[in-house]
Amino acid sequence: MHTPHLSEDELVLHYYGEADAGKDSGSAHLAGCEECRRSYTRLQRVLAAVDSMPAPELPDGFERSVWARLEPALPVRRRWRSWFVLSPASLAWAAAVVILVAGAFFAGRMTQQQPSRPAQASASAEQIREGVLLADLGEHLDRSQTMLVELVSSDLTTSKVDLTAERERAEDLVAANRLYRQTANATGDVALTQLLDELERLLVELATSPDDMSSEDMEGVQQRIAAEDLLFKVRMVSSAIRQRQKTESQVRSAAGRT
Amino acid sequence: MPQTDAAAVALARDGDSEAFRALVERHSRAVYRLAYRMTGSAHDAEDVVQETFLKAYRQLARFESRANFGTWLHRIAVNCSIDLIRSRPHRETAHGDADLEQFGAVLESTDATGTSPERLMLSTEVQRRIGDAMSGLSRMERAAFMLRHFEGRSIDEISEALGLKTNATKHSIFRAVRKMRAALEPFVADA
Repeated sequence: MHTPHLSEDELVLHYYGEADAGKDSGSAHLAGCEECRRSYTRLQRVLAAVDSMPAPELPDGFERSVWARLEPALPVRRRWRSWFVLSPASLAWAAAVVILVAGAFFAGRMTQQQPSRPAQASASAEQIREGVLLADLGEHLDRSQTMLVELVSSDLTTSKVDLTAERERAEDLVAANRLYRQTANATGDVALTQLLDELERLLVELATSPDDMSSEDMEGVQQRIAAEDLLFKVRMVSSAIRQRQKTESQVRSAAGRT
Repeated sequence: MPQTDAAAVALARDGDSEAFRALVERHSRAVYRLAYRMTGSAHDAEDVVQETFLKAYRQLARFESRANFGTWLHRIAVNCSIDLIRSRPHRETAHGDADLEQFGAVLESTDATGTSPERLMLSTEVQRRIGDAMSGLSRMERAAFMLRHFEGRSIDEISEALGLKTNATKHSIFRAVRKMRAALEPFVADA
């Protein structure tokens, strides 16, 4: 009995061992059909040639450039990602941690034991200085948050996204961000240091971007912001700082009355 | 620098960044090539390399020392490539055969006749054609084909990984193979 020739797709499935077991008469058919056998041999040759697919050329020092890009991200990512597994429970826990550390950043040293009188004057000056710094950091995070919101809501339906305003804003924010990060690091506030580090890497990238960014690249930026929960974290710390400022203000007012 | 991957992994687990650096330097080219093959984009491949090593670093504690680090890393890189491909919108489910015909016509116009297949088989022409054919694949065609052809994943596994229905996966592979045949058959038919 004459059996129909194997189709091109059936030959492909046969080649990859994916033909349905019940229907695979491929081997038997190929054994008895010269035409299909020739076609199958051609397919085998084509796919064997694909194996010689060229590898992309990589420059000398490629490994160094990979490491240079990777190294700054390692300790940061490791900790953040282990916090933010994105289950509701871990998010709630992370939120609590961020609020605590953001508060501790400037305010932790304000609740030390009762100082002597000369020390009180110095502590007061210190409190004022830290209060100013806290306000500055809050403003910095608010500005960063505004920029992040604009980035994540950028229109991707056009081929290019005008990034002029965001780029200029990122340029302004980078230097301040670096100072805050160094301060947070010096005071041992690990979580805030990590957040500012993540923010800084994005700011640097934006500050060095062209004014017109392709929508594909912008999509990459948006995905990165989402993947790192950057907006969420900035909002959370910014909100914690505002709360902290409010509390400090109430404490100072109460102290002034007594 | 640690002599073996196993020694480097042990040190890196204890926080030795130079040991992890040694692993990065040993394996980053292979990871990049895999990522490039999967994504077809130098930019995406760089992102996959970065994400692969970050994931590996975070998961070092889970790595079993008896296993092969390169194989483990390879698996992470494939998954990172899939994640990246899936994260991009794809609009390639409604292809007709028009682009295949167009693709064939472009290749025909650059046909190198009169040269012996044996020589061409080893020549850069074949490689160039493979490169052209690969760049003619849609993102999903490329990913499905690479996972089937180079990674040995089954169609069911590929469907699950790429979030496609089985028929869509098969269709992607068939189309990719047709494009490969169009590009390469003239050179290998009588080899």
